[in-house]
This record gives sequence, C-alpha cells and structure tokens, in this order.
Amino acid sequence: MAVLTVNDLCKTFGAGTARSNRVLDHISFDVRGQTFVSIVGPSGCGKSTLLNIISGVETHTSGAISVTSDDGRPARLGYVFQDPRLLPWRTVRKNMMYVQDKDDEVTRGRVDRYLDMVGLGKHGDFWPGQLSGGMQQRVGIARAFAVEPDLLIMDEPFSHLDAITARGLRAQLQDIWAQSKKTVVFVTHDVVEAVELSDRIIVLQPGGRIYEDITIDLPRPRRQSDPAVATLQAEVLARLEKMKAMTPQVAASV
Amino acid sequence: MSNPVVEASPAAPAVTWQEGEALARKASARTRRKRLALLTAGWAAMFLIWQLAAYYLPFGVLPAPLEVGEVMWDIVVSGAFAENFFASVGKTFLGFVVATAVGAPIGYLMGRYDYWKAFFHDGVTVAGTIPALTYAVLSLIIFGISDLGPILSVALVSVPFVAINVAEGVRGVDQSLVRMSQAFGRSSRQIRREVFVPTLVPYVFAAIRMSFAVAWKVEALTEVFGGKNGVGFQIRSEYQLFNIDGVLAWMCLFIIFMLIVERLVLRKLENRVLAWRPEERVGK
Repeated sequence: MAVLTVNDLCKTFGAGTARSNRVLDHISFDVRGQTFVSIVGPSGCGKSTLLNIISGVETHTSGAISVTSDDGRPARLGYVFQDPRLLPWRTVRKNMMYVQDKDDEVTRGRVDRYLDMVGLGKHGDFWPGQLSGGMQQRVGIARAFAVEPDLLIMDEPFSHLDAITARGLRAQLQDIWAQSKKTVVFVTHDVVEAVELSDRIIVLQPGGRIYEDITIDLPRPRRQSDPAVATLQAEVLARLEKMKAMTPQVAASV
Repeated sequence: MSNPVVEASPAAPAVTWQEGEALARKASARTRRKRLALLTAGWAAMFLIWQLAAYYLPFGVLPAPLEVGEVMWDIVVSGAFAENFFASVGKTFLGFVVATAVGAPIGYLMGRYDYWKAFFHDGVTVAGTIPALTYAVLSLIIFGISDLGPILSVALVSVPFVAINVAEGVRGVDQSLVRMSQAFGRSSRQIRREVFVPTLVPYVFAAIRMSFAVAWKVEALTEVFGGKNGVGFQIRSEYQLFNIDGVLAWMCLFIIFMLIVERLVLRKLENRVLAWRPEERVGK
C-alpha cells in the first residue's frame, strides 16, 4: 500500500506575476510502505520545495498529495534535518521525549531502545552541548525513529558532517532502518549516498520534472566498500552526467 | 639524492588518565589561590589608603576604618540594620515586580512585532537614559513622603532594562527549533514553554542583574529625600546630625549587602538554572 501519493503536483512561485517561477512540473509518484526512497538532483531542482510540500510547510499550486497511515488515524511524520535541532536546555532523553505524544512506560522504553540503537544508550542524561556534532545528529535520527512515524523525512541529514562520521552514520542508519522498516523519503544531492541507502532513487532535473526513477536491487546490508555498490554508483553517476549534458543552461552540480 | 628523513619526535612522557586529571585539578586550584590572593591584596590596599587618609586629613573629616567598623557593629547588634534593610529590600523587590509586569510584555511586543518595536523603541531608549535622580524627584512629587515613592522609582528605572532585554531574548529565539517543534506537531503552548521561555531566562537574569545595581541606588536615593524608613532614610538621619561615622557605616553595610546579594544569591541561582550552558560548566 502506498504511504505517500504524489499526483500531478505543480508548484509555481509568484504565479501570475512577471517573476513567475515553476519549480515543480507535473510530478507523480507513489512510495510504498517500508521502502527507502531517495530524491536526488542538482541544487535548484525543487527537492526542498517538494519536501516542504510533503511536510505541509508549503502549499502546492495544483495536483494532489497525500500521506496515509495503516490504520486510518492521521498520518504521523518524523523528521531529520540537516542540523540536529536539539533543545540545548534539555537533556538528550528529554529532547527525545519532547516530540512524543505520551509520557508512559512504553514510550520511555521505546526512546531508550532507539538511543541504544544509535549507540548513545549511556548518554541519555547528557546535555546536547556535551556531544559532538555527529553524536547530536544521531540523537536527531533516534528522535525521528522513536515517534514511530508513518513517513520519515530526512533532509540531507549527513551533509554537514565530515566524510568519516557520515560514513559511520550511514551504516548505522541502514541497521536501524532494517530493524524498524519505516517508510523513508531521503533527500540528498549525493548520488553515492543514495545508491548505498535506497531501494529506489527518484532523480529530479532542473525545472522540476522527474528525469528518472531507478530501482536499486542490491542485497543489504550494503557497504561502500562492496564492489557491486561501487559499480552501480558509477553507473547512476554516468546517467546523471548525461542529464547534466542535456541541460547545459543550468550550472548543475550533481 | 637523498630523501628527506622524517624523524619521529621523541615521545612525550606517557601520562595516565588519572595523572592528567590530578594535574588539571592542581592547576585549577593554583588559579583559584592566585585569584584569592589578588582579591585579598586589593581589599588590604583599599583599607590601608583609607587609614592613611584618615590619619593625614584634618580631624573629623574622615573617620578611620576601625571607628566606622565599631558603628557598623552597633547598628547590626541593635537590630536597626535588619529592620531598615528589610524595609529597603521589600520596596526594591516590589519595584522589580512592577517593572517586570510592565516591562516584560512591552519587551515581548517589541521583540515579536516590528510595529510595536517602532512604537516603543524611542520611548524605552529615552526612559533608559534619564538620570535616576529625576525618577526619585518625580516619585516624591507624586507620592510625597511614603513607601510608594521608592517603589515607583525602582519600577521606573528598571522597566527599560527589562523591556530591552526581553525584546532581545524574543529576537534571539532560534526559529529552526520552532520549525522543528511544529514539524513534530507540538502545540503552541508546548513551544512557548519548551522553546521561548528557556531562551528568555538568561536575558531576564541579565536584566535583573543590570537593573539591580541601579535600582538599589535609586531606591536609597528616594529614601534619602522622602523615606519613612530604610537605608537611605538612616543615611539622611545621620547626615542631619553631622555624623560622618554613621553615614559611612550605613554606606559600608549597604555595599556589603549588595555584594552578597549579587555574588551569592543571584550568581548561584543563575548557575543553577543555566547549568545546560557549556560556559557555565567550565567554572565548576
């Protein structure tokens, strides 16, 4: 069953004015439950706008979008941002509890379980300021998983981290995802990262159309060092190079 | 052809974790001792200068520290100290309550909305630059000789501090945390309690600390002119008797009391409430 349905979606900034700018152009796709989907594209292709529309921060100009839950209750969303966005005046555990709707044994147990999964089980009573950037981002990831979202939105969560830390976190994210099987929409400009993590990659091109919808059928867990992963990464990159060549007017950086 | 040889630098002597901890503790103890010594030296120098000045100035102009100390002791033992300081503290506290009740909403509006910022900005700035003496005189004209005068003057002098700091705090709220809270479906009540209030607390502390020093002075000043009791009133009484010992004794008690409140009460409270700040932990 589709958790996220996007149907003929358009977004035009300043519609009807001289500066009218269409950033999403008749986009349609479905995301089935328990899949990991990446949205990839150069800067300015409408990735962030699409994400904002899914999360309800921005409205769309035409078309339809819906997020559904398994059991008919309002769909719950989880977020991981580029930066950790933790409350500095609350401990790690209280930060996790802040976004929970209930404060009972079950919820506290779940929060502790996800903290354990990101390797921060012993850091529940630390202030965020006492943790490194990578550790803070792990809290952000645990926080999003711990709300048990129907749809988990991740907006370039590793782009502010150094390469080694980011690699470690990608491996950890795969493990948590394998255990929890949440539906994830992961936005990134890094194709290599997308191939390593996703079941499917939706490539947006400048102007806001879907250029390609690629299924990644590789066994998990995947590691960057795996030759099959590397081959596929090179192949997807080559396809994106072709797209870039076709749209020379945009200084695209894939 | 010789390749440059990179020689391993001689290894630093290995220090275990415990040894490192002990060294760090020793170093911080040394800094503390040094600071204490400097502080003591400063006080000693001040008393010495006072003593010398009292000795060389004509008789009766400046009493020696010991004489003043005796008068201070008498004031404390007689109970006059407690009585008058409680009167002054009570009035200052009430003035702060009024100032917060008026200044905090003004500050919130100024921080939140450009319209209200434009509306209040000049008024608050001007109010902050008016000499405290003016407020003291104004309060006396309005209320005559009563307890309300000092309360009003404390309130008037503190409102701009509170308003400006709260406005600064509201502007300092991290919007990305607000958006995070909204994304996770938190109510505006939760966002106020968990994001806005904790952001404002340090600013309110700063406002209290800053206005405290000024408020005390203007409170005492108002009492000098039109109090029925309190520290300022006592200073005036001694002045009318041409009793320099008494004036100085009350003044010294006033300074000591202020230092205690500032250093011990406010600072301790602030460290406790703001324990999450990295810079607060360093000192511990």
